[in-house]
Amino acid sequence: MAVIEARNLTYSYPFADKPAIEDINLAIERGEFVLLTGPSGCGKTTLCRCFNGLIPHFYGGKLEGEVWVAGLKTDEHPIHELAKHVGLVFQNPENQLFALTVEKDVAFGLENLGLPRDEIRRRVDWALKVTGIYDLKDRAPFELSGGQQQRVAIASILAMQPEIMVLDEPTSFLDPLSARSILETIYQLNRELGITIILIEHRLDLAARYADRIIVMDRGHIILDGEPRKIFLDDRIKLVGVGLPKVVRLYLALRDDNVNLKRVPLSPEEASRLIAEVLNSDRS
Amino acid sequence: MSIFEGLRFKTISSPIHRIDPRAKFIYVCVLFAIAVLFSQLIPLLILFFSQMPLIIIAKLKREWLRLMRGSMFFAAIIFIANMVSLYFYGGTQSLAAVVEHSLAMTTRFLILVESFSIFFATTSPDMLSLSLEQIGVPYEFCFAFTTAIRFVPVLAEEAQTIMDAQKARGLELERGNFIKRVKNYIPILIPLIVSAIRRSMELAEAMESRAWGASKKRTSLYSLKMKTKDYIFIVASIIVLLVSIYVRFFISIPSVTELMHLG
Ligand SMILES: Nc1ncnc2c1ncn2[C@@H]1O[C@H](COP(=O)(O)OP(=O)(O)OP(=O)(O)O)[C@@H](O)[C@H]1O
Ligand SMILES: [Mg+2]
Repeated sequence: MAVIEARNLTYSYPFADKPAIEDINLAIERGEFVLLTGPSGCGKTTLCRCFNGLIPHFYGGKLEGEVWVAGLKTDEHPIHELAKHVGLVFQNPENQLFALTVEKDVAFGLENLGLPRDEIRRRVDWALKVTGIYDLKDRAPFELSGGQQQRVAIASILAMQPEIMVLDEPTSFLDPLSARSILETIYQLNRELGITIILIEHRLDLAARYADRIIVMDRGHIILDGEPRKIFLDDRIKLVGVGLPKVVRLYLALRDDNVNLKRVPLSPEEASRLIAEVLNSDRS
Repeated sequence: MSIFEGLRFKTISSPIHRIDPRAKFIYVCVLFAIAVLFSQLIPLLILFFSQMPLIIIAKLKREWLRLMRGSMFFAAIIFIANMVSLYFYGGTQSLAAVVEHSLAMTTRFLILVESFSIFFATTSPDMLSLSLEQIGVPYEFCFAFTTAIRFVPVLAEEAQTIMDAQKARGLELERGNFIKRVKNYIPILIPLIVSAIRRSMELAEAMESRAWGASKKRTSLYSLKMKTKDYIFIVASIIVLLVSIYVRFFISIPSVTELMHLG
């Protein structure tokens, strides 16, 4: 069974006159790196809140259909039980760190679970090292840069060793350089630890290269779902106003001029390789 | 802000910082008790200055000076209030005695401020919360306490940002009479409150996502253990208290006024 599965999922917030997400059907396999994108207000955050039980347990409202996560039906299990399987990293790093030192923040979830002290110690040190912030462990979170804070947030989720990590625009408060390095770290968690990643991201330029799969939402619906190179060539993506990565636009521009690259590039490095190939084959 | 500066914990380390918060708390209570026990100027002054070694060991000299300067306003009020009430309603005391007694009350106030600041400036909020937890205060309260401390600088910065933004749109804070000035702050308060509510929603979401309330018996990364030096510190504090009680009841202390008459 898929690690996340939604069947005919429709949800309305309390007092809302229409659903925020409607008729969502979705299956995500273990180990996938999924990029979730779409215009502002289309329901990305709402969908992610369904994955760890914040919806319906925290928000209330009206939920129809079913969501299964790691074999658990989300409306039948409390958030703290789902939290062992799904970790959520939020947009604003400042509002998801509570403690007065980085180390205690990373320990927070484990303390809540009531794990023995030496186990907490071991996992905290491990998570700090994997995310590259071990040296910051005695600092206060509010003294850190945005990128460092977001690393702390990721470490604090990682320490709980979830199978699935959902990251809601984790880089939108960051400059491109820190954004890039955070995304690299997330990719590494996916490749090396096999954690299933669901990443909400507007900056496809930065994020598309890591994704196995892209899901595009619009007005509460999933409108496209598939392999990135296919998604970018679909005309519907332009209609919803998702900005294509520059390298994809380059591919399209070249295609209009009858220069056909072997496939759609997802990163500048790949693009330059593909262009070099075309140039070489022209010459020979 | 200058008063709070003296109470703010700074991440430095000293022998005083490393004493168990519970031991330090007993010490502060002893200081309070002694300050209340005596009402004469000489013993209170001795008590006030006997804290100096501690302040120097804890590397708090500059904070101490700032704190004293910040307390001057309240100290002056206490002095004047005492002077007025004693002079007009205190019966037949001489002016010198009235002044001495008022100074004594002011010194008592400064001792309270001073010992409070030694405690808070050398105890990290984390340690404080941990010791509250270990003496049986429910974790929810300790969490609320550390979170409040954690968000003071964030909210202060936010208030500043909102103030700058509203000023840039032409809001004049320093304009008009008192009522007008209070009203001027409404365009700052409302965004501040709205954003604090939004922030607390996000915090609650993040807490839930990290298994808040999962286990009845929550564990903790650290635990505080009383060490020999902490016990010594407590015993020393209690001895000081006992000696003070003895002195208070069995030895008569002259007042400064009396000493001057003798000399
Ligand atoms: N807490 C809430 N209560 C009521 N309605 C909400 C709440 N959060 C979001 N909504 C509504 O649900 C819809 C989807 O919002 P959502 O936040 O999921 O969009 P999003 O795709 O994450 O957008 P963005 O890219 O701006 O983050 C919007 O119409 C929004 O107004
Ligand atoms: Mg969102």
